[in-house]
Amino acid sequence: MNLLFNLGMAAYFAALVCAVVCLISKRKLFDLLANLLILAGLLTQTVYLGLRWQQAGRAPFSNMFESLVLFAWTVAVVYLVLRIRIRIPWLAAASATLSALAMAHASTFESAIQPLMPALQSNWLSFHVMTCFLGYGGFAISALVAVGFLVADRKGSNVLPETRETLETILSQTISFGFLFLTLGILTGAVWANSAWGTYWSWDPKETWSLITWFVYAAFLHCRFMRGWRGRRAAWISIIGFLSVLFTYYGVNFLLTGLHSYAS
Amino acid sequence: MPQVMSDQIQLPSPTLPARGGSGPVEFVLSRLASLKFALTVVALIALACVVGTLIPQGPQQVAAYLERHPGATSGMNLLSLLGLTRVFYTWWFVGLLFVFAASLTVCTARRFSMIRRSAGVQRARVIGSFITHVGLLLVLAGGAVGVIWGQKGIIQLHEGESASQAEGQEGSMLLPFTVRLAKFALEYHENPAAPVGNDKLLVQWSAKKFRAEFPIDLKVEHPVIPPDAPAGAEPPFKVSVLRYVSDFSLDGSSGEVKSRSDKPNNPAVQVSVTGGGRTNTQWVFARFPDFSDHGGMADATDSMPLQFRFESAHAVVAAAGRQWSIKAFKSTLEVLEQGVVVDSRTIMVNSPYSRRGYTFYQVNYDPNDLTWSALQVVKDPGVPVVYGGFILIMVGLTVVFCVSPWLDAQRRTKGGIS
Repeated sequence: MNLLFNLGMAAYFAALVCAVVCLISKRKLFDLLANLLILAGLLTQTVYLGLRWQQAGRAPFSNMFESLVLFAWTVAVVYLVLRIRIRIPWLAAASATLSALAMAHASTFESAIQPLMPALQSNWLSFHVMTCFLGYGGFAISALVAVGFLVADRKGSNVLPETRETLETILSQTISFGFLFLTLGILTGAVWANSAWGTYWSWDPKETWSLITWFVYAAFLHCRFMRGWRGRRAAWISIIGFLSVLFTYYGVNFLLTGLHSYAS
Repeated sequence: MPQVMSDQIQLPSPTLPARGGSGPVEFVLSRLASLKFALTVVALIALACVVGTLIPQGPQQVAAYLERHPGATSGMNLLSLLGLTRVFYTWWFVGLLFVFAASLTVCTARRFSMIRRSAGVQRARVIGSFITHVGLLLVLAGGAVGVIWGQKGIIQLHEGESASQAEGQEGSMLLPFTVRLAKFALEYHENPAAPVGNDKLLVQWSAKKFRAEFPIDLKVEHPVIPPDAPAGAEPPFKVSVLRYVSDFSLDGSSGEVKSRSDKPNNPAVQVSVTGGGRTNTQWVFARFPDFSDHGGMADATDSMPLQFRFESAHAVVAAAGRQWSIKAFKSTLEVLEQGVVVDSRTIMVNSPYSRRGYTFYQVNYDPNDLTWSALQVVKDPGVPVVYGGFILIMVGLTVVFCVSPWLDAQRRTKGGIS
């Protein structure tokens, strides 16, 4: 099990190195290698998660270690799905960095399989956490793209307008993807909470921050598709949205207490 | 990844086209339908949410905070005075939600009128957007129904006790039947009354430099063969565990060993050693490794060169003062109508029981009194409305983010647009 975890992390780090070499040397071979390594990391992680699921007898999404592994996995999934449609070498480097860092950070937490507390013993666990993290994965990639856009859009940049347009399109698409799954995650969480505690909404910090994040991205989508907001403004909203995601996922676990305090 | 909205086509704004009239009603409606206004309200709600998560909310959180930071009393009093320690229940926050609902209603109504004016792919998007907004309105409406007509209360019972009302924040909540707590049970992931899988008995024979670990499998004989024994020789000793008790106690009068409780306060194993035509038994204590209680052939003790240690996971947890990992707490309820038991059900977290619109949730127990249980009773007629809203939201978003782009792609393929 630990070997698979380490192999997955190593694959992401190796992908990062290849992607950086590709950016410097401009050789497509390294881009191909980087993407194959991300795919290898994803497959290794999938086997790791599957084995852990089998061994624990429940979805391996119940604590900080497991959720960080899942986060690395969803970032890789969203990136690779995007890669099928479009090739952006620096995005491979950025995604591999994010996945590798998430795995490295996961390794600082207790990895032993722990029994589940009563509130988490529900079939909703896998559905709720998986949908939320697919949303987080989409938002993470959108934030990386937003940063890339801001760099490409700086004064004196010689990036082609078509490239900027492509980045804007990817930004909207990844946010739409993330929004769909975040919404599903919030709603499944509400149904689960009602089944566990008899209340579908209790203004718990995690719930409330999920709602704040949802508001930020809802605002983005409205501004983007109804007011035609593009460019730097849209990119900044995306970055603010992802900061909100990070606080929802990470900050709430460590700084605030509530119904989700077991997540830390 | 679902296909998503094309960048080339924007959704028309619900504020357009301009409607006739310039009276105050039209002015208010046009304000409520304005995207800028709606986003401002959303931003204010989000800001209030941030405040509501950063400042302790409710008397319990405030008290806990003041216990940790006694010097913050005056500051907390000021925040309480401003209503910032109960943000989500203040008149201004509820007011913001009302304004948001009003804005959403007007936008949704105008969006409905846009369905007729749009065509093709754009129509699909408008329909999806309309469904999503109706879903949001249903969620808000369901929430309001729950607040106005919903009831919530707590029932606290000992085994054998019954109740036909629950105590809520707004007084008693009468039930149309009686519930009796037939039994309460607390289950742990591990059975504290039994050894866990990785518990072991360490056996040492110092003179022979022999050391071995045996699992705690009762009445299984393990041979002790020192390293210098010739191959195929009979083992000089055989060790087996005869008995495990989780909370060792010795009856003073009868001398009988018993377990004082199911809790692993003092886990011990009775070890039997057979060798040299004799058998010796002794108790080995996980938490007191230097103390052994010998039984059986007491006179043979000195002639037995083996030393034992019992490693118990339960003892480690007990020594660290940690709590056992709880698997479930369950209340078996009997429902009585006119004195007759009409139903019986065991409830636990994630597995509530519903009857005649009232749902019972397992919410609490007392680790020092395992005959007591606390149940939450909820009657919320708004839940089906909220769930209906959830379904509409997901259907609407699926239409907007998946169906509509798919239609768009089909249209482009047919039209030869690359």
